[in-house]
Amino acid sequence: MNEMSANLDVVGHDTVRKDAVPKTTGAATYTVDVSFPGMLHAKVLRSPHAHARVTSIDASKVRGMPGVHAVVTRDDLDGLNPTYGYFIKDQPIVAMDKVRYIGDTVAAVAAETELQAVAALEQITVGYKILPTVATVEEAMAETAPELFEEEPMGVVPAYGQGASGARRLGRNNCYRFSYETGDEAAFDRCDHIFEDRFVFSRDQHFHLEPFVTVARMDGDVIEIWSSTQNPFPLRKELARVFQYPENRIRVRVPYLGAGYGAKNNCKTEPIAILLARLSGKPVRFCMTTEENFLTQSQHAAILDVKTGVMADGTFVARSGHILLDSGAYSDASPLVAEKAGYRLPGPYNWQHLNIDCDCILTNTTPAGPYRGFGGTQASWASESQVDIIARALGRDPLDLRMQNVKNLGEAYVPGESGIDSDLRAGLKVVADRVGYEARSRGDGRGMGVSIGFKDAGGVNKPSQARIRITTTGGVYLECGAIEIGQGIHTAMSQIVAELLNTQLDRVVYPELNTDYTPFEQGTNASSAIIGTAQAVQQAALVAKQKVLEFAARELDCGIDEIELDDWSIRKGNDAHPLAPMIMGYYGGTGYEFTGAGFFKPELDHAAPLESQCVSWEFGWGAAEVEVDRETGLIRLLQLVVSGDAGRAINPLVCRGQDEGSAVMGLTGVLFPCMVYDGAILMNGNGLDYRVPLATDIPDGFVSILQEQGHGPGPFGSKSIGEGCMLPVASAIANAVEDAIGVRIRELPLTPERVLAAIDEACG
Amino acid sequence: MSGEMAFVSCTVNSVTQEFHVRPEEMLIDVLRDRLALTGTKLSCDLGACGACTVLLDGKPVSSCATFAWQTDGMNVRTVEGLAAANGALDPVQQAFIENSAFQCGYCTPGMIMLARALLDRDPSPDRETIRVWMGANICRCTGYEMIIEAVEKAALIPLETGK
Repeated sequence: MNEMSANLDVVGHDTVRKDAVPKTTGAATYTVDVSFPGMLHAKVLRSPHAHARVTSIDASKVRGMPGVHAVVTRDDLDGLNPTYGYFIKDQPIVAMDKVRYIGDTVAAVAAETELQAVAALEQITVGYKILPTVATVEEAMAETAPELFEEEPMGVVPAYGQGASGARRLGRNNCYRFSYETGDEAAFDRCDHIFEDRFVFSRDQHFHLEPFVTVARMDGDVIEIWSSTQNPFPLRKELARVFQYPENRIRVRVPYLGAGYGAKNNCKTEPIAILLARLSGKPVRFCMTTEENFLTQSQHAAILDVKTGVMADGTFVARSGHILLDSGAYSDASPLVAEKAGYRLPGPYNWQHLNIDCDCILTNTTPAGPYRGFGGTQASWASESQVDIIARALGRDPLDLRMQNVKNLGEAYVPGESGIDSDLRAGLKVVADRVGYEARSRGDGRGMGVSIGFKDAGGVNKPSQARIRITTTGGVYLECGAIEIGQGIHTAMSQIVAELLNTQLDRVVYPELNTDYTPFEQGTNASSAIIGTAQAVQQAALVAKQKVLEFAARELDCGIDEIELDDWSIRKGNDAHPLAPMIMGYYGGTGYEFTGAGFFKPELDHAAPLESQCVSWEFGWGAAEVEVDRETGLIRLLQLVVSGDAGRAINPLVCRGQDEGSAVMGLTGVLFPCMVYDGAILMNGNGLDYRVPLATDIPDGFVSILQEQGHGPGPFGSKSIGEGCMLPVASAIANAVEDAIGVRIRELPLTPERVLAAIDEACG
Repeated sequence: MSGEMAFVSCTVNSVTQEFHVRPEEMLIDVLRDRLALTGTKLSCDLGACGACTVLLDGKPVSSCATFAWQTDGMNVRTVEGLAAANGALDPVQQAFIENSAFQCGYCTPGMIMLARALLDRDPSPDRETIRVWMGANICRCTGYEMIIEAVEKAALIPLETGK
């Protein structure tokens, strides 16, 4: 754990973002803006049925239609590994034997215009034999339920360490189970009180404004794509497997991303765009509509059963839990989300015993995948709601009960795990003080609640590489694979490098990602960039700096400790020696580039439950004040105070944007309808019917407070900030509702109907 | 592909443009595909999210829900046409930059155009007016507060004259 470093010139300042001018003038290039002469447009035929066997596909009428250059059905997949997925390769590029949800991809066409492509799709004839549907996890788990996969798809269970395990196909439509156990189950027997509650979590859609989009072309024998993706290197590997193609002949280029929030990991538009480009010999753009985004990826709805044993004095003792995640029709990232939901269910508290299973259940709905918070949102909802239930049952203040049981700074999360790197009590006090928790007035339907949102940060065993190149005249290339998805990472990384090289921020450029040149990065996800990738960047910058200093010391015939790097001059005593002439004097007039390489990866550690210790722990403290109308059931949010710990904020203003953005995103699952299904039919999957928070939905009492506790593993003590503040929102509001009107709502979203039902139940 | 082509003459960012457009062709397609003004972004394609907001005779409209022929004789302004002739950025752009009022940036051109329209009609709006006005467009990244503050700040920056 680093101490706060003082007197920094660039780090810690609200410097203007590197992407500010392009993004405010319309000059920023996104994948949707990539275009080539002769480029074709792809459209896909989607299944109208939630579950059916595909008995026939006839696309013969399409070939030869005006403007149509290529068609893909299951008959065009020879020579490919035509299914993809994270651990379980179960999702076909286009339907093969079956379709498994409304919107499943059946065929694809590339034509000169989108209209021609749509017209062509209408001429494809598909025979379906309708199969029984499972629209919910309860239906899917029933003994007589139809299986989405009659045979086990190819896949693996990742390796786990102490106490953790994974398994496949343990029940009907169960695609994966993550389990974690520690301590002696007998701990429950010693408890004075046992609490058992079921919580239900809503299903949001990411609603990233830039759709899923890829432009693909063949550049000689190289498959070249521009894609709106968060993880180009794993994507490249997956595409290499699907197309049985060498990884180094697949080039992935990533312009600015119009956000992702997790959705833009792994294959989405890429396989179809590539396949059509290969078949047609022309560049192909496959850009989904917002409606198609809803049919491509969602958050995991969840049912969480939590059993917690405590002592009469409020001491937490044991917790067991069983989580059911609605995975939708394909496994996608479900095994990973299950791992994180299960592993995070204990919350940041002390336990003698834990026993948690998290099952991923396939249903005939949109595939669920990574979504900001990644299982932590679901876990925090249940865990932090139950803490309040326990407190009220014991006659304790919910804030006090948290203070009593949270882990201390530095304490290991569970056996074999890394230490908690924030002061949880200090963080909670920040939001409680700001919201006015202690002095709150109750009655009149008003109340307050607090919550500690919790997740690990940095992913699991996640490697990053980086390279720094410095030109003769002191221009710095910052080369790493962290993608500018909106979080400001180009700016933060550049600030770190400018600080380390003691140079001006505008000397640092951050080239667009191209997998042919950019150092390897496992992905811009899991809040990993500032604590993982940035460590590789830091190392690269320091290596390059060392080379510069060694060169200068040799040229100046002095010791390296006699000189300092100062904005591309060498300061020696009171003399400044510009580097450019020195470099050209030695290397010749065209100069030279000093380079430094960096690498970061957590150590493999079999004693750690997830096979490497978590790099960091990300928190979002939340406090809410609500006013509940007992007649209408409407919840009015008066105050929402959130706070994250940036460790050391590289750019405080950018951090603030992360805290506020994630908190408002978290509101979606609490006070908005989310994805509404009628059976297996999505009722509101478009930009008009789907409600996300608007400026007018944000209360005047919405405040974020940035903490800098200084304990992070990233450069200068920094910590992740991108996901924390969405985690406490739901439970803080539900806790405030109970504080206000004395009823507990265990199901999200907190609709007026549910509030009224809870009031009725309490009165009845 | 129905009906006859319509002739449209309009001004886009102070330059006269003339087109023959199909009846179903939308303004955003003309801007992006014919004029390469790709700062205007398509998202929901239903006129709901506002990412494609441009100014039509000063009023904010969704260019995904405006037929190209509707712009005949009108003045279209996009994010590319906001800066002053001397290159100085519009106060709204300056304030969005200084306040870091964007993240992924995809909604930003639309948000900036929406804010410009507000300040053109009400040069010093109060915070509530800004909140209600900016409530027309969706930003999924920022949580809106920093956008609202940027519009407040933009109202304090003098507009460059001589456009």
